[in-house]
Amino acid sequence: MILPLAIKSVRNRRFTAGLTVLSIALSVALLLGVERIRQESRETFASSVSGTDLIVGARSSPVHLLLSSVFRIGNATNNVSWESYRRIAALPEVAWTIPLSLGDSHRGFHVLGTTQDYFDHYRFGRDRKLELAQGERFADANGTVLGAEVAAALGYRLGQQIVIAHGSGDVAFALHKDHPFRVVGILARTGTPVDRAIHVSLEGMDAVHAAESAEGGGDPLAAAMRNVMQREMQSIGRDDHDRDHDHGEHGASANEAQKRTITAFLVGLKSRGGALFFQRKVNESREEPLTAILPGATLLEVWDIVAGAEKTLIAISALVVVMGLAGMLIALLTSLSERRREMAVLRAVGARPWHVFALLLGEATFLTLLGIALGVAALYLGLDAGQPWLEQRLGLFVALRWPSVTEFGLMMLVAVSGVLIGLIPAYRIYRLSLADGMTIRI
Amino acid sequence: MQHSPIDPQTSKSQVREEAPAATDNVVELSGVRFSWHPALPPVVAIDSLRVARGERLLLRGPSGSGKSTLLSLLAGVLKAQSGSVRVLGRELGALAGATRDRFRADHIGVIFQMFNLIPYLSVRENVCLPCAFSSRRRERCEQSGASVREVAARLLDHLDMGGHEMSRRQVTELSVGQQQRVAAARSLMGSPELVLADEPTSSLDADRRAAFLELLFRECARERATLIFVSHDAALAPLFDRTLEFADLNRVAGSSPVTAIGSEAR
Repeated sequence: MILPLAIKSVRNRRFTAGLTVLSIALSVALLLGVERIRQESRETFASSVSGTDLIVGARSSPVHLLLSSVFRIGNATNNVSWESYRRIAALPEVAWTIPLSLGDSHRGFHVLGTTQDYFDHYRFGRDRKLELAQGERFADANGTVLGAEVAAALGYRLGQQIVIAHGSGDVAFALHKDHPFRVVGILARTGTPVDRAIHVSLEGMDAVHAAESAEGGGDPLAAAMRNVMQREMQSIGRDDHDRDHDHGEHGASANEAQKRTITAFLVGLKSRGGALFFQRKVNESREEPLTAILPGATLLEVWDIVAGAEKTLIAISALVVVMGLAGMLIALLTSLSERRREMAVLRAVGARPWHVFALLLGEATFLTLLGIALGVAALYLGLDAGQPWLEQRLGLFVALRWPSVTEFGLMMLVAVSGVLIGLIPAYRIYRLSLADGMTIRI
Repeated sequence: MQHSPIDPQTSKSQVREEAPAATDNVVELSGVRFSWHPALPPVVAIDSLRVARGERLLLRGPSGSGKSTLLSLLAGVLKAQSGSVRVLGRELGALAGATRDRFRADHIGVIFQMFNLIPYLSVRENVCLPCAFSSRRRERCEQSGASVREVAARLLDHLDMGGHEMSRRQVTELSVGQQQRVAAARSLMGSPELVLADEPTSSLDADRRAAFLELLFRECARERATLIFVSHDAALAPLFDRTLEFADLNRVAGSSPVTAIGSEAR
């Protein structure tokens, strides 16, 4: 009896009730949205390094090396010589290595120079291998394999030719037009930075810069122009390229590989148990100052750094929820004076005080649950609509999955808070109805 | 119609303890005192009052004299600090709160001066409301061989509020006179033994007042309900079986702080 009455009562005050539900829904959507993006960003990061035992790069901070090599956030401070890479790759504990050469870009997407080992050994998620959605791996210096997001965003197909640019900014200042690449493969979606990369062979990367050096070397005017342009770009902070690899070093010589440098390399060990020992070995290497990191441990450092910001965001969202619930409390309390007559009528026809109490509590519960349901619906609609943007701008692939245990916990917390807040007007009208009886004392 | 005069000599010990069916008095009050606060003087102080089964009693008195408080005592919403309030042979003061609520739901219908109806329910839903809180009244409807809805439709029809369209209308769309008739129909649902009316005609003009009372009397007689009607309007006296001046009955001085529902505007 009380539930239909509560629903009809809410319907009678549908405008104010609608505003209350809207404010609860928006605040719940915000809270769950922040939590969802927090979880997804963690999962995306963790997924990207799941199969790698160590990452080795030039001497720098571990967090910097992890972010620049795997997540393409920031730039490597220095490079690793090819000799050092070969030396470490040949160590007996090493099962596999994947060299990574970064620094060029194509229309805002990073170009990653690597080897076939990338397709054989790179793992993401729960031990998942990279899979080609279309085409095949690059077999020579002219082929390129696109990440799923690159192909989708730029509308590229197999067989298409692309030209990579100098530096990693969104705007290309110098194009490597002399060595175009042909799209030979497109990877299946992974939900990691792989989706946003353009993969070429290290030989392709060498060829690009060799061609450019040759051109620049043969034409003094062109070489002078190039130098001026590089200085210009360095001064405005656009050119990340030379920090990753120097064109002069690549040269056009036949012994290109010997002069090659790479940004970093991923290492898989035969035994994971030896990771710490191996890390120390690399870090203490005398040949070249290098840093080896354990991706999982370094990721924890990253989370420590961002934990403060995460907590602040969650706290702000929680405050917005509190404001939404406070709005409901105010709306219910202000409705009490006009509803005292309604309660007196109900009491006169036989309603007991707990009926009156339950009516208000039921209303608060109904509004809160409706707000939560609409908030969840708004979140999913928002994520569905905003997914391409999130992936393109933040590199986050936010899957439309069922709410996590934490999210259910947050929903329960909001629901319980709504019910507890409903106790205030419910108790007040209960006391008033006891005092009023069938008459209202003003 | 049997009349029961006021008997100021009746003491608490003389109140009979018969079951509802065994007494002709629906209401028996003796030595009743009620005040809103122990430090304040009583607003109701009635030595004795008896109302017989089927009687139509008018309690006449000015606003604020405690009439509405007396109705709340009779309905068991308020509890007297001393004395005996017996309704249908049950001593209301001896009943627990929940039992009093159930007793009221089962046996008493109430009509207020204004704001009688739940604004978000239709005419029919308002009339059927007592049966939602009282299985006894619901059973009585069904014993008459009709469903709750059919009984509501019949009562509304008798009060010139019949018709399918009317029963589905929102009560906020009705005139004050129509609302009072809906309230009358609601108070009579499930044949309660006692109907308490708190100035239900004060918002109506003379013609509508007479028509409303005629309908109310007819339906009370049909349902064999006892009617206690309070009003400040002396012109109504000839229409009732008996009229009592509330000032004679209630031996207190000064005015009550109580305002009847909807009567603040008066």
